[in-house]
Amino acid sequence: MELTISRAEILAILPAGILFITGLVQLFSDLGKNGDDTRSEKTHLAMIGGAGLLLALAALFVQGTAASTGSLYAGAMTDDLFGRMGAGVVMMTALFCTLMSGGYLASSANNRAEFYALICFCAGAMALLCQATNLISVFVAIETLSLAVYVLAGYFKENRSASEGAFKYFVLGAFSSGFLLLGMAFIYGTTGGSISFSDIAASNGQGDSLFSIGTLLILIGFSFKIGAVPFHSWVPDVYQASPTLAVGWMAVAVKASSFFALCRFLLFTGGGQELAQILAAISVVSMLLGNLAALNQRSLKRMMAYSGIAHTGYLLIPLVIVVSGEGASAGASIPFYLFAYAATTLAAFGVITAISVGTDRDDVRDLDGLARNRPFLAIGLTIALISLAGIPLTAGFIAKLMILQGAVSSGFLTLALIAIITTLISVYYYLRPVVAMWFREPRSSFDLVPAPWGVIFTVAVCAIATVFIGIFPGWLVDLSRLSVETILG
Amino acid sequence: MIPELESFNLPVLSLITMTPAVGAILLSLVDRNNKALLRQAALMISCLTLLFSLLMIGNFDNAVGTMQLEEQHTWIESLGISYHLGVDGISVLLVLLTSFSMPLVFLSTWSAIDDRVKEFQIALLLLQTGMIGAFLALDLILFYFFYEAMLIPMYLIIGIWGGRERIYAALKFFIYTMVGSLLMFLAILYLYQHTGTFDLPLMLERIRSTHPLGPDQQFWLFSAFTLSFAIKVPLFPLHTWLPDAHVQAPTAGSVVLAGVLLKMGTYGLLRFSIPLFSDAAFDLQGVMCWLAIIGIIFGACMALVQNDIKKLIAYSSVSHLGFVVLACFIPSVEAITGGILQMVNHGLSTGMLFLMIGIIYERRHTRELADYGGLAKVIPMYTIFFLIAVLSSIGLPGLNGFVGEFLILFAVFRDFPLWGVLASTGVVLGALYLLNMVKRFLFGPIVHEENRTVADLSVREIIYLLPFVVMMFWLGLYPAPFINMVKPTLVLYVEMLKS
Repeated sequence: MELTISRAEILAILPAGILFITGLVQLFSDLGKNGDDTRSEKTHLAMIGGAGLLLALAALFVQGTAASTGSLYAGAMTDDLFGRMGAGVVMMTALFCTLMSGGYLASSANNRAEFYALICFCAGAMALLCQATNLISVFVAIETLSLAVYVLAGYFKENRSASEGAFKYFVLGAFSSGFLLLGMAFIYGTTGGSISFSDIAASNGQGDSLFSIGTLLILIGFSFKIGAVPFHSWVPDVYQASPTLAVGWMAVAVKASSFFALCRFLLFTGGGQELAQILAAISVVSMLLGNLAALNQRSLKRMMAYSGIAHTGYLLIPLVIVVSGEGASAGASIPFYLFAYAATTLAAFGVITAISVGTDRDDVRDLDGLARNRPFLAIGLTIALISLAGIPLTAGFIAKLMILQGAVSSGFLTLALIAIITTLISVYYYLRPVVAMWFREPRSSFDLVPAPWGVIFTVAVCAIATVFIGIFPGWLVDLSRLSVETILG
Repeated sequence: MIPELESFNLPVLSLITMTPAVGAILLSLVDRNNKALLRQAALMISCLTLLFSLLMIGNFDNAVGTMQLEEQHTWIESLGISYHLGVDGISVLLVLLTSFSMPLVFLSTWSAIDDRVKEFQIALLLLQTGMIGAFLALDLILFYFFYEAMLIPMYLIIGIWGGRERIYAALKFFIYTMVGSLLMFLAILYLYQHTGTFDLPLMLERIRSTHPLGPDQQFWLFSAFTLSFAIKVPLFPLHTWLPDAHVQAPTAGSVVLAGVLLKMGTYGLLRFSIPLFSDAAFDLQGVMCWLAIIGIIFGACMALVQNDIKKLIAYSSVSHLGFVVLACFIPSVEAITGGILQMVNHGLSTGMLFLMIGIIYERRHTRELADYGGLAKVIPMYTIFFLIAVLSSIGLPGLNGFVGEFLILFAVFRDFPLWGVLASTGVVLGALYLLNMVKRFLFGPIVHEENRTVADLSVREIIYLLPFVVMMFWLGLYPAPFINMVKPTLVLYVEMLKS
């Protein structure tokens, strides 16, 4: 058999390829420098990473918003707009995490090239996951990115709790991969040996109960990754124990890429009413538990963990609509929501990183009087929290508007009502850091280290983006709609 | 009125709305230690906004009852949201009230706020944009934008510059408001689904012709909208956040809260709840009016027993706004005209009272009535101004309060005598608690030695109190120009409700 690779196929994997090479370059550039050098900021690593990521982003969008050129690599992946948007979210997140790494890692005397390289490898795998259109490539991409994330979670290997968290994550992650694989096997069996999404959609195995079980198992596998109840138990522990930056990375990139892949899978396979009901139940429980549990958290990272679970619940609402067949166009709110969520969450984690630099503290009370000491960071975090709470003038509001509009127009009023009520609950805990920052006086016992430049840059860009998307969301809405339409054909 | 201005074709409403926000952005570039510049700049910006508001009045045609000076641009086309502003008889006086009071509020903060001046001025300017925008917005999402945009600055104003219990009060204010507005948000989305537009005039037209709402839909949508507005008003029994917020807020916060923010609730009833869901509004007229009457009497009774002056005025607001809610639900031109005038009157009299309490608080650092007494001889100028504000609040003929109350009670008596009688008790009680307060506050013997040396009003204070007094007399003696602005709109409005 002759192996030919078309230009489109090369272009499709180019961004991921650039990232893999960037990671290798970072590793080599740091060879032999691991001795006492872990306290320096090593700007060259961030430079290499930044250059690689910018190059990859350029390669990603060199085609503009052109429609899909069809299935590539015999149906293993595609280069459609939806996939490229997912890869775009991931790479922008990677860019900001890379920029923040230097200052953060140097302050804990742990600045090694591995961290940067792992983020690049991980981002490459995530880009492929967003573009994957068959079960095998989905699985390979998920495993690749998971391995990188396990290591990132346990990056502070001298820290016992971090190692424990990473181990917990690893064990549960391995389980979830098992579910995923079993589900894929069921689908493979019931659809007469189909692995590509379009073949699965076209096959007549969909009425088979084993097919439904297979879809459900895949859903469970993804639920671990996106942190949906009841597969969420690792989230708070791992978030609290892991390096703040790695948490920011997990919270945004892992969730975003998994959602893009899950959304694509469900858009193809549908699923029927039973699956829609299960998804709706997961969504409701995630919204309720995430928001209620977040009420009692003193640790910012734990609070963000539960808030992340709640946002997973909101994000599942459009998937419920897609799966129930009431309107596939509701899926358009997912890319938008993830973009908004990425900008917002990165701004929040930027500030959390800034206060944990060198001290590793993340209590809400550590924010006391931040508006006096660091007004800039306080404004950034306030914007992020307002956006997470879905209050107007921020990207989070438009994201919620799209999701609720989808729910209302497809007749899912109960889901919309629960989303509204839980949002109200969330306002309470999102305001707590605001109270600490603005209403309380600084505590003298706690000196803030000046924030690293990468962190300041990230917070500024992400906070401005949050407000900008909140006021002028039209272009992103159109882009998200277009991307989902290209999948639906 | 001023024809040559019309030819400029300025987007007057956008100018009024956006000037404070743009000013806030400019102010953020000023050095935070340059307090004098910050204060003067904020004052100038609010004066500029007032100027644009006068330009709006100049271009406002009293003969027209529909929306005027409309501006419509596509904004978020893919979500069906447009930037649509317009002014009519219902909103014109409220916009004017807002841009009239803000410069005076800014002037009052020169001595009251010394900590984090920059943040305060910015918050107040953003608040102003939110308030004016909400009065002018004719797209439901745009309205929701402005409605919510008021929330954060007000929350910060109470929470940062407030009294001892400020964090609790700020949180309570925020959560109460959010409860209502989130349910309203859901209702807005439902309406969009039903009518296919967020544009208010278009939506009204469709609901009345091609897309009628069923009784159940009307009931739920009306409830969602009205809950949000009733919390803002606040209508009994949703008023409990108000005394906390008022007592804890700094003077400027209280003035804006009582002067303008509460009117957002009654304005919302008139603009959205009642015309959009007129059947449900008619069905629930009894419930709403009874709640309003309970509020009138309950607020007055609570005010009778308060020892904290600010709390007393806060409860008097509950009572006074009960009249406005009552007026909103009586479908007659007189009642609603009275309601709108009463909104303005309450803004003037209560705003001025809060400013004056702020003045005395700056000198004595207490708001307990028991700490005062006998001030009339020490600070005669203050006493005169205070008495005018109190008499205006009571509704003495010749001052503004009388006109609104009279029109409301006149209309209520004509159609619903029982409600008229009950509501009138509120007027009597109002005179009782306010005069009682004046007696304990300003007259009688001087019990506390500190009160002998209290300074009288400064020139700056007289400057920002005098416009209030002028407006009170103007509205009280010659309200015709104001009524003429309101009337054509209300004639059409009541016709529409009755059809």
